[in-house]
Amino acid sequence: MSRTNTNPVSHPFLLLLVLLAHTAMLLLVLLSFGLTVEVLKLACVVLISDFVGAIVLQFVAQESCTVDTVLLLVLGMSTIYQSCFGGLEFALKHFVFGIAAFLMCQISYVLVRNPYRAEKLKPLWYGSFFALVIAIFFLTGSRGIWIDLGFITIQPSEFVKPVFVLICASSIRTQLRKSEIGGWHFVPDNLMLLFCTAVIAGLQWYSRDLGSLPTFAAAAGCALLLRFMYLREKISVRLTVVLIIGAVFVVLTAWHLAPAYVQDRLHTDIWSDMSGSGYQQVKALTAIAEGGWFGKGAGNGTLVNVAASRTDIVFSTICEEWGLFTAIMTVVLVLFLPAALLTVPPRSYYHSGLALGVAAMFMVQMTLNIFGSCNLIPFTGVTIPFISQGGSSMLASGIMAGFLKAAQAPVLTGRSAAQLRKGGKA
Amino acid sequence: MPRITPQTPGQPRIIQVPPLDVSPPRSMRRAGRGTALLLAAFLLALVYLIYVLVTRSAFYMAKSGQTGYGRVTDRNGDVLFDGTKPMSEYEAGHFADVGNLIGDTSGQMSNTVVSRNIELLANYSFLYGKNSGTVTLQTTISHKATRACYQALGAKNGTVTAYNWKTGEMLVCMSKPCVDPALGYDNIDSMPSGSLLCKAFSPTVPGSTQKVSTLIAAYEQNGVEAVNALQFTCEGSWVNASGGKINCHNAYGHGTQTLYEAFANSCNPYFAQLVQSRLMPLSAVIGTYTKMGYSVNGQKAEPLVMDGLTIPAASTVLTDSNTFETQWGCLGQGKTVVSPYQLMLWQGAIANGSGSAVQPYILAAHTDIENRVTQLGRTTRTGQFFSEAAAQGVRDVETDNAEKHYYVSLGEYRCGVKSGTAQIRQEGREYENSLLTGFCLDDDCPVAFCVLIEERTGNDISNAQLAKVLLDALRSENITKTAPPAASAAGG
Repeated sequence: MSRTNTNPVSHPFLLLLVLLAHTAMLLLVLLSFGLTVEVLKLACVVLISDFVGAIVLQFVAQESCTVDTVLLLVLGMSTIYQSCFGGLEFALKHFVFGIAAFLMCQISYVLVRNPYRAEKLKPLWYGSFFALVIAIFFLTGSRGIWIDLGFITIQPSEFVKPVFVLICASSIRTQLRKSEIGGWHFVPDNLMLLFCTAVIAGLQWYSRDLGSLPTFAAAAGCALLLRFMYLREKISVRLTVVLIIGAVFVVLTAWHLAPAYVQDRLHTDIWSDMSGSGYQQVKALTAIAEGGWFGKGAGNGTLVNVAASRTDIVFSTICEEWGLFTAIMTVVLVLFLPAALLTVPPRSYYHSGLALGVAAMFMVQMTLNIFGSCNLIPFTGVTIPFISQGGSSMLASGIMAGFLKAAQAPVLTGRSAAQLRKGGKA
Repeated sequence: MPRITPQTPGQPRIIQVPPLDVSPPRSMRRAGRGTALLLAAFLLALVYLIYVLVTRSAFYMAKSGQTGYGRVTDRNGDVLFDGTKPMSEYEAGHFADVGNLIGDTSGQMSNTVVSRNIELLANYSFLYGKNSGTVTLQTTISHKATRACYQALGAKNGTVTAYNWKTGEMLVCMSKPCVDPALGYDNIDSMPSGSLLCKAFSPTVPGSTQKVSTLIAAYEQNGVEAVNALQFTCEGSWVNASGGKINCHNAYGHGTQTLYEAFANSCNPYFAQLVQSRLMPLSAVIGTYTKMGYSVNGQKAEPLVMDGLTIPAASTVLTDSNTFETQWGCLGQGKTVVSPYQLMLWQGAIANGSGSAVQPYILAAHTDIENRVTQLGRTTRTGQFFSEAAAQGVRDVETDNAEKHYYVSLGEYRCGVKSGTAQIRQEGREYENSLLTGFCLDDDCPVAFCVLIEERTGNDISNAQLAKVLLDALRSENITKTAPPAASAAGG
């Protein structure tokens, strides 16, 4: 394995930072609950996980370790949060899914770190996409979004997200492969992306789960922008104007045609219906206010009694117990994952699209969750990556974190280099 | 991009992985820029979110009832609402004259100072949390003057509203009958109708006080001098072009009058002839009314707002200058309705002679749980209701009216007034309300006001006497001095 260590901060030092952050949080837990078996259990599990995670990373490490470090940090924090909401009880299920997400991150990293191989597997991504769409269409309940396997419920729409990001990514070679019908030149892959986006929109409309639509739309929009501009030295003003007008037209049309239940959410005054449709948001906002800057203390919140306190309004639950300051810091920390792209840029065009797609997904998802629960935009019910409870979401986020890791600094093996030689640009 | 050196036979192939500080091609840098753009937008939105949460958190706490409430005081620190202890601990009737203006946290009334500004009353701060102190919301209201007016009404119902037309301080906003929040709402079904409503904010038939608006329309269209020179004859009644009969309250008629005389006599035939004359095209009347804030013929007009309190706009129906309905509307009867608050506001614009009023405000200052005082009230102006010339012309007519006809009751004040008698038909009953709207030009009592006495008879207090009670009480309050902020309100 060829490796150039240009990372200014070494892995052990970053692990130390993770340990320090988690230890500080655990001390606050200790202050809230005292020295109990549950506190010790939580501390042991989190800190040992950090060590084990660091060891595992030695086998899948690369030049930059930002994504790995941030992932370890976020997963540990998330476990501590979820274990303390409303009282201390180790969130075993959340922790297990956290480990699974970490492993999925490494697996997806290995799978897509070679852009040529990832691009070659595109038929597989398309197949997975349509398989998931068919599964959602036929296996979910009456216009529901969950598949109930008895011992576990799966939200297949979450897994569509990483697959969709893979579809969004494209190589320059693919972009140069144009077809012509009736004198009109087009890139088949771009048409497929548009088609997949339309399929997702139709499916979400059918499933009455339009909340996630902006995340897919953002990823598709970013991918299309990147594709249209891939060879241009300067961004065409005319193209930009056309795209903006098109986007505005689509948004206005969707706004106008949105079904009644969506219109209700767009125009709900939560304060005039505090016990009805505005119940969750009123409770969420009140909890934030009660928490203030520094929170009521771990385990001292009451928002946990409200539905979706660990998922859709988890930002408010953190605010109530840990304070707005900590909650914002947590969100910023999650942002470090896509921001890693800024410190170590992708080395292939394919990875650029992959990373931008994940960045768009993560940020739009967080926007919908946080700003929706705070009543600044319509409340939809999506999750914050890695922080919200939910296995499907956790695993899907882990897979996408792997894309970021792969995009950040792919290690080129001899075989990859041979492909590069044969295939030219990727 | 990775580079591969040409392979020399016999030598291993060297793969050169570019160092991380090498800039990628423009097409790939755009991905970074896109991410940076998304991040920047998200972080900006996050900053906005923090701002909203920190500044609105008191509202969240107050609306959800998760915190205690502070006090509302009048301009001198007299408590008008107390959320820190049961209001029944105050002397009996302490809140009986301000209950439907100030309100409480029971949720029974919505258009009150407390309901509309509940976030300012929350004993809460984002830094210190809830119930870590007591906030005080000081109003510009004079409880002493309010109580004087309330008591002067005796057994009658009505409303008195007054404000300082120079500074905008709302001084009195009394409405009787009035709920006493200290007594609770167990007897809500047996409370007199209107107890939970401040009638100063409710549009009502204005009677002849409407002639002020009609006169303004005439001035705007023809100029002050031309209108002042107009003469019409009153013979007790007058039949208009469409056969409608306009009666005068003086069945014998006022004879031929000038405008000043007709205004003082409140002569209906004179003003009906003015409306029908070619000097007053209907479009001009509608234009002036609309500019003054009326909703004419169902046209949308913005409600008035004072520190969150909402006052519906005046409205009227004007279809044809020759018809009884339109003329009757211009005389302040029929379908014309105006709130006493809005009548008072126009008097403010007349008193200052500019045609635009000083915007009334009722919240003076807020003292938070850390005893930090924030001045809330400030002097601002409304839009232009009418021209300066019209304002000054009406001011002259009203002061002339006061000097000649209200010398006995208001003689010691330099006032301008217009009275009115509103014919009300409500729930099968017919009765008359007595109104007086005007202003005082004295430097120590710059007040614009409107008083309304419901179903007044000859034995009851007159509206001019009530106005004098109001002015006396306000002058004794030394209202020209800005009230000091109530850092700690007096209890009990």
